[in-house]
Order: sequence, then structure tokens, then C-alpha cells
Amino acid sequence: MRTLRRTLTLPAARAALAVLAVVAVLAVFGGLIAPQDPLAQDTTRVLQGPSGAHLLGTDYLGRDVLSRLLAGTGRSVLGAVESVGAAMVLGVVPGLASLWLGRAFEWAALRVVDALMTLPFTLFAIAAVGVFGNGLNQAMLALGVLLAPLFFRVSRAAAVGLRQAQYVEAAELMGASRGRILRTHIAAKVLPTIAVTTAHALATALLTVASLTFLGVGVQPPAPTWGGMLAADLGYLAQQPWAPVLPGVLIMITVGALNLLADAIRDSGAAGAPTRATGRRPWRRTREAAGTAAVPQPRERRSDEAVAA
Amino acid sequence: MNRALNPGSAPALLGRRKLLGLGLGAGAAMALAACGGSSTAAPGGHSAGAGVLKWGWALPTSWDPVFSSAGWDVHALSLVYAGLTKLDPHGAAVPALASGWTYDSAGTRVTFTLRPNLTFSDGTALDAAAVKKSLDRGRTDPKSLVAPQLTSVKAISAPAANTVVIDLTHPDYQIPNLLAGKTGMIVNPAEFGANAASLAARPAGAGPFTLTSYTQNEKAVLRRNPGYWDAASVKLGGFELYPLPDASTVVAALQSGQYNVAQIPGSQVAAAQAAGLEVQVIPSMVVATLDVDSARAPFTDPRVVQALKFAIDREALLKTEAFGHGEVTYQPFPKGYAGYDPGSDGLFAYDPAKAKALLAQAGHAGGLDITLTTSAAAGVPEQIQAQLKQVGINAKIEVIPQAQFTQIIYIQHSRQVAVDQFAGRDSAVQAFQVLFGQQGLMNPGRATPPELTAALDKVTRTPLDSPDYPTVLQAATATAVRTMPNVFLYTVPRILARAKGVSPLPETTVVQRFEGVTVA
Repeated sequence: MRTLRRTLTLPAARAALAVLAVVAVLAVFGGLIAPQDPLAQDTTRVLQGPSGAHLLGTDYLGRDVLSRLLAGTGRSVLGAVESVGAAMVLGVVPGLASLWLGRAFEWAALRVVDALMTLPFTLFAIAAVGVFGNGLNQAMLALGVLLAPLFFRVSRAAAVGLRQAQYVEAAELMGASRGRILRTHIAAKVLPTIAVTTAHALATALLTVASLTFLGVGVQPPAPTWGGMLAADLGYLAQQPWAPVLPGVLIMITVGALNLLADAIRDSGAAGAPTRATGRRPWRRTREAAGTAAVPQPRERRSDEAVAA
Repeated sequence: MNRALNPGSAPALLGRRKLLGLGLGAGAAMALAACGGSSTAAPGGHSAGAGVLKWGWALPTSWDPVFSSAGWDVHALSLVYAGLTKLDPHGAAVPALASGWTYDSAGTRVTFTLRPNLTFSDGTALDAAAVKKSLDRGRTDPKSLVAPQLTSVKAISAPAANTVVIDLTHPDYQIPNLLAGKTGMIVNPAEFGANAASLAARPAGAGPFTLTSYTQNEKAVLRRNPGYWDAASVKLGGFELYPLPDASTVVAALQSGQYNVAQIPGSQVAAAQAAGLEVQVIPSMVVATLDVDSARAPFTDPRVVQALKFAIDREALLKTEAFGHGEVTYQPFPKGYAGYDPGSDGLFAYDPAKAKALLAQAGHAGGLDITLTTSAAAGVPEQIQAQLKQVGINAKIEVIPQAQFTQIIYIQHSRQVAVDQFAGRDSAVQAFQVLFGQQGLMNPGRATPPELTAALDKVTRTPLDSPDYPTVLQAATATAVRTMPNVFLYTVPRILARAKGVSPLPETTVVQRFEGVTVA
């Protein structure tokens, strides 16, 4: 809660959260507040410019662009949330467990994570769709598997120092169970770091969802998605050169807000800031571990993604 | 760390700003350089090589005509291969490697006379023995994809160096037309004897051009073949063939000189003209279709097939997909072709009420679920889905990769309905075989009604120059469109945009040819 309060004092964080709140509302209620049926075609009014009837014009089948953008928000955003949720479950739990379940598990988990980190997001998601069928869930769960190493590394790096902290050792000596130590002494300290990672990962996942739907992967036509609309609009640049800007700007603003939020959480000192409980030394160790193992990963993967897309 | 609270973070912030500034500066410099480059480039890119035609079109599935798996490949293969015959602009067979041919009175033997001193592009002699070996390979190779077209051929012989005799199992007057396409392309026996597999990437023919380099999915470079039998008509020094350009960039690519001729979609015609490019809309044999599997429920009931045909508003499809370039059709042949049946005009004109009634008769008044398979969901499939919904058919769109389309749709025949295009064929009977034959690629139901087989047999036995031929062929067309499940939607003209320095392209309906074309 302290982290949250600190974060909210930053203007950038407030702006990012405001944008994300709007996106969240659109993701949940976008289909309901769409002025028209996003799938309703009117071939007598194709590729029209903005008008009273269609505030953002119509697409190549005469469908209302505003309604499609609103209705497409949920599918685009929830895909990213799904993949990051899967990544958290698959990454954080083994990440923390690797510190407590013995060397054999630690060694095996690290090797699996190393192996997963070599795989490119988009290609892996396309392959998963090829094997399991063309659906966003399949693609997103595959993406979640690839994002999991990020959470594994970050949570492990944040916790590795805490494990040696005197108050944790004291709790162990007093007979606290492993689960209790994880819940009360470790989780609270690791969560802020995971929050930063989550925001970054959501941004990465959103871009990957947009890339996949741009390629027509993972979406059941004619359901609208931001990436799908961007791809379709590119075929009609001669008629509507401004059309791809609309989904493009939505993607850009949402990803920008997520990155801004991640920066703000980090700047608020959340990602392992020294606290009275942890003391100075554990923090230093955490920074070192995170700096070598965790922090460079999202940046590196994002640049890979741009090449693949 | 909190940068806002920690003065130590200031240099990092400054560094980021510097980096941003540098990035913006570099981006601006690159943009300026790009603008400068485009403004100084010669329009159409002629400076890159005079007399070289750069065609944004499609690369073939294989450079070996016997194993090419797409009808569309005929355009690319015609650049490097020649046949005994070729087609004139209207689709009639005219002499090519053969200077002429004669049928015997029974129509079961056709004798081709070769032109003198023919050679393959590598200089090897192209004589009757080579023609026999090449045609026999297409006929007898166990994996040949043209063999089904040659089932009426009983034997091929070469009694003299310039004479090829083809004996037939029954009268078949389609042979000269058939041999004008992939089926009759003559492959150098010296190549397929030793290393047949290499033909997929290194064609060995006697066409107007010779392939000099080929990068799969990227580019094919060809140079003029001075030994081509009609080399005097080939004015181009070289040829570059590229995959189908992207709709969003094709006009810019033509302006920049990446291509000087390119296939463009109907949506880009106005933009191309506005950019100062010449646009030719060439009537072709290509027809947009739905391949319907009549062996799979619910299409085992002909009333459901009929309902499907009546439920589709072809005018709307033509308008949105092709921007009006083309014509609504209910049959496989375009207007003006001998097989075009005027009696089938408007046969399945859009009538949703009738479609609903037919579905109700078939016991589907409460609705019907089908799967519409396509390789690209946007456009026609989405529109057809919406139109079918109006009559109570819930179509789920299944997208399969383009690379698997041939395997899944044409070979496995494992889908109910596929959104497809028929590329046309050199011979009318060949077109019937592909669309409606029991082994036809586009007849997934594998059934042909006896009346159609009889009508087709009559076509085969009628000489092409007989006054009865159009009547007989049109009767077969009428039977086919009424008895077969294929749904014909609209004709797809070949829309080619070209840079100013390229002379007009020959308007040939079946295969795009380049005789007489010049590039300034």
C-alpha cells in the first residue's frame, strides 16, 4: 500500500492510471457503449469519412469504425492480461520455490527458464496456434509461457536477498512454516518488483497481441481487434490514409501508459527500495541480482519482437 | 530508486534526453535521405537497366511444369518454357514450337510438325524425340500433376525429327489447346534425365527467357533467350519476377521503380492512375468461386447447395472486393468465350427469400451451421458470412495458412466450403475436369453426374473449328452449373499497372504474354 501511495503522488503515474482506467472501462463495456453494431455491414456506405452517422467513418465493408474500435478493445487488452496472468503463475511461484525447494529443483528450473528465454514470442505463438488451433487463448497462453521466465527471474532475484535477512532467519528459528514465511515476510517485499515487471510485461504482451492479430493469428473473424483493424486499413490507404492512425494511436497510448506506470512504480522506490525491515545489505544484493538477470530481459525481448513483427 | 527524490539520478535523465535527441536527429536525417533518394530516382527506375521488365506478380510453386501445383503458375512458367502451341488473345490454339498440326479423320491421331532448328535455352536440339520424352514424362511420372489431363493420350511417337504423333484413346480435339499450357510445356530431357529435382528451381525449357538467378519467395531474374523460336517478337533484354506486391505499397513501389509492371487490386486503380501510372484492366479467365463439398452434410442435399447459391449477393461482393472491376457470373467462363452460356445469365440471382424457402424444404428452417474455409478472412469471406446469416446460415470462418491451402483444399478435400478462385485453363475440357471432374482439384465431392460426363464427352469429340462446337460447349456449361455444387461469384480481371516507359501489354485472356513489349 505504501508503494501504491507513493506511486500515486507522481503526476505521470496518475496520468497513466487515468488512461488505463479508460482502457479498462472500454475493455469491459466497449461492446455495450458502441453506438452501432460493430459487425453490421452496409455495402452502400463503404470507406466513408467521418459523419454524424459514423463519427470515425466506415471501413471497407461499411462497418462503423468507432464501434469496432470500442468493441475491439476488450479482445486486444484481455489477451494481454491473460498472457501476463499465465506468466505470473508460471513464473513467480517457481521463482520463489526455486529458493526453498533444494538445489536440484533450482538447477532444473533455471535450465528450463534459460531454454524458454531463447524462443521468440511471435513465432512461438504462431506455432502454438498451428498446433492447438487458431484462437487467442492458445496464442496468449503460449505467450504467457514465454513471459514466465521474466517473472521467474525477477521474483527470484528480489527474494534471494530476503532469504538471508535476519528477520526471515529469526522467523525460521521460531518455527514459522515455509508457507507463512513466504506469505508474510517475502511476498510483501517481492510484490512491488513484480508490479513493475507486470506493467512492462503487459505492454509487451499488448504489442504482441496487436502483432498477432495484425497477422490474422488468434482471432476469429470478423471479430474486431486493434491489430486486425490496422492490417485491414492498410489495404485502403488510397481511400482512407488516416484510417490506420486510429487503432495505431490506441495501441500506442495504451502501451505508453503501461510503460509510464511501470516507470512510475519503479521511481517510487517500489522495486526493492530499502525498507526498515530489509535493511541495506539485502537491497544491494537484490539490485545486483536483478540488474544482471532480470531487468535487461524485457528490453531485449521487445527489440526481438519488433524484428519478428 | 526514485529519480524525483534522488539528485543522483539527474545524469541518467539527461542521458535519456540526449539519447532521445540523438534518435530524433538520426531519424530526421534518415527521412531526409530517403526523400532525397526518391526525388532523384528516375521515374520507373529505368536507370536500373534498360529493357528490363520488373513484374510484381507471383513466383511459381515450382519451376517444373509437371510438379507445379497452382494453375496460376502458368504465367511465370510461360516465361521460360514453350509448348507445341500457344493461345491467341481469345484463347484459341495457334502454332508455337509446332508450325502446324493435323487430325486424322477419326479424331484419334494428331500429328504436329515442328519448326526447323529448334533449340532449348542451353543450346541442346529440340526435336521430336525430345518432345516425346517431355510429354511422356508428364503422362507417366507417378507424381505428375498434369497426368490427369493426358488420360486420352494412348501413345506418343516421333517418326521423324520434326514430326510428333499423338495417338488418342478416343477422339479429342482439345489436344492443341491443352498443350498450350503447363501440360504441354516442353522440358529439356537432358535435365530431367539426370537431375529432375533441380528443375523445381532451375527450369530447362525453350521459352522466351532463361532463368539466371532465383531466390525463393523473393525474386527471379531472367534474360532474353536468343534461341527462342519467336525471339524477334521479344523486345525485352531481361525480366525480373517478384511475388505479389502488398496492396498498401504497390503504387509506391511502382513509382519508386521497384517494379515497372505490377498486379494491383481494384482498390488501388484510382490511386495508380492519380500517381501517373498506366492501368490496364485485362479480361481474364479467372473467376472467384466457392468450392463446395457435396459429399459432406449438409451439402449432400442439393436444395442446401441451391440455397447457398441464391443466398449470395454477388453484386455486393464485386463492388466491395474489386471496386466494380469484373462482372457477376454464374458460370466458369467469361462473356465472349466460346463456352459462355447466355442461358445461365442470372441463374442464381440474389434471392434470400428463395434461399430461406429452400433451406426450410431441406429441413433447416431453424438455421444451419457451416464452416467457411479461407486463407485470408478479410473481405469476401466476412461479407459472405454476413450474407449467409441473413438467410439463417451461420458460417464460421476458418483461416488456414496460404501455404497449406493446396494440401488441405485441393488434395485432402477435407473442408465443407472454401473461398477460392479458379485461374482458368487453356482448354475448355481441362477447365471442366478441374472444376467438375471426379479427380478435379476443385470438385471436393468427387462426384460427376452422368449427364455432365456425356456432355463433356461430346465436347471432346467435337472439332474446335466445327460450327457446332460453341453450342456443344455451352450445353455442357449449362449442365455443369445446374448440376454441380461449385458457386461462381464474379470474374476477376487482370489489373496491371505499369510505369510510363513500358509499352502496352498484350491483352491475352488466359496467360499474360510479353511479345512486343518494350521498356524505355
